Amino acid sequence: MSKTFTLLLGTSPYSYENTLTTVKIAESALNKGYTVNVIASGDGVYCFLKGQKAKGITNAEEKFTELIEKGLRVYL
Amino acid sequence: MGKIAIVLRRSPYGDINAAEAVRHALGGVADELSVDLILVDAGVLLAKQGQDDTETGFTNLGDTLMDCLEMGVDVYADKHSLREENMDTADIPEGIKVVTGSEIADIIKNAKTTMIY
Amino acid sequence: MFVIVKSGPDTQDGKRGIKLARDMSADICLIQNAVYFARKESLEGFCGKVYILDKDAGLRGLKDDELEKRIKKIDYDGLVEMMAGEDKVVGMY
Repeated sequence: MSKTFTLLLGTSPYSYENTLTTVKIAESALNKGYTVNVIASGDGVYCFLKGQKAKGITNAEEKFTELIEKGLRVYL
Repeated sequence: MGKIAIVLRRSPYGDINAAEAVRHALGGVADELSVDLILVDAGVLLAKQGQDDTETGFTNLGDTLMDCLEMGVDVYADKHSLREENMDTADIPEGIKVVTGSEIADIIKNAKTTMIY
Repeated sequence: MFVIVKSGPDTQDGKRGIKLARDMSADICLIQNAVYFARKESLEGFCGKVYILDKDAGLRGLKDDELEKRIKKIDYDGLVEMMAGEDKVVGMY
């Protein structure tokens, strides 16, 4: 049985590096065929708000949308 | 117009503080304010040369610090903090002034407004 | 056992993560601001294997000659494989 990665994201998207680390680990694990869950807790839920306009840094909404299309499961 | 002192105490990238410090420093000089950017504690790591943002998704804050210098921000690094981080003047870009704690106190005393990151 | 540390040496969280790993005889991977722990003499007394996320170290301008020789550089694919291969992963501290 394939391993499952479950990542807990508890911080808002642009104040800390955690969003990007989560994105990179999730992306790599999905590419390798693992099942990947992200559980957004506390301010982590802001990573999934619609209409984010971030530029010059990875846009959390765009990147997570891309990963969800690749099979990422997100729980708020 | 009074001077603004911006104190950066945190290292770059792990959180938004360094990015906000340089953003506001650039915003200040763009509005023709006089800005002092003071790097203390782990904030001196912002001045480390050779930061490589390739494929990281980040803006290179080392380059942004250079923009600050070119735009006329006065950038200072705390001597004691540099030593704590095993850095010396050879590790930081030309134009950054290395200062002591009492010199930093004077800079802050002379500023009308202080922003701490 | 594998501990992922993300907080820098200037924080209590970072120090706690390293101590926890040492007390559990675990290996560590340093990411985000914790890559500064990879500098020489920063990890004295830590006997486990030490990995560092190459991109996070490069982003902060850390050069090879500043790092402890025993430290192994890995990328995200390497980190994911290590996480998948361990019975237990603790983190991120």
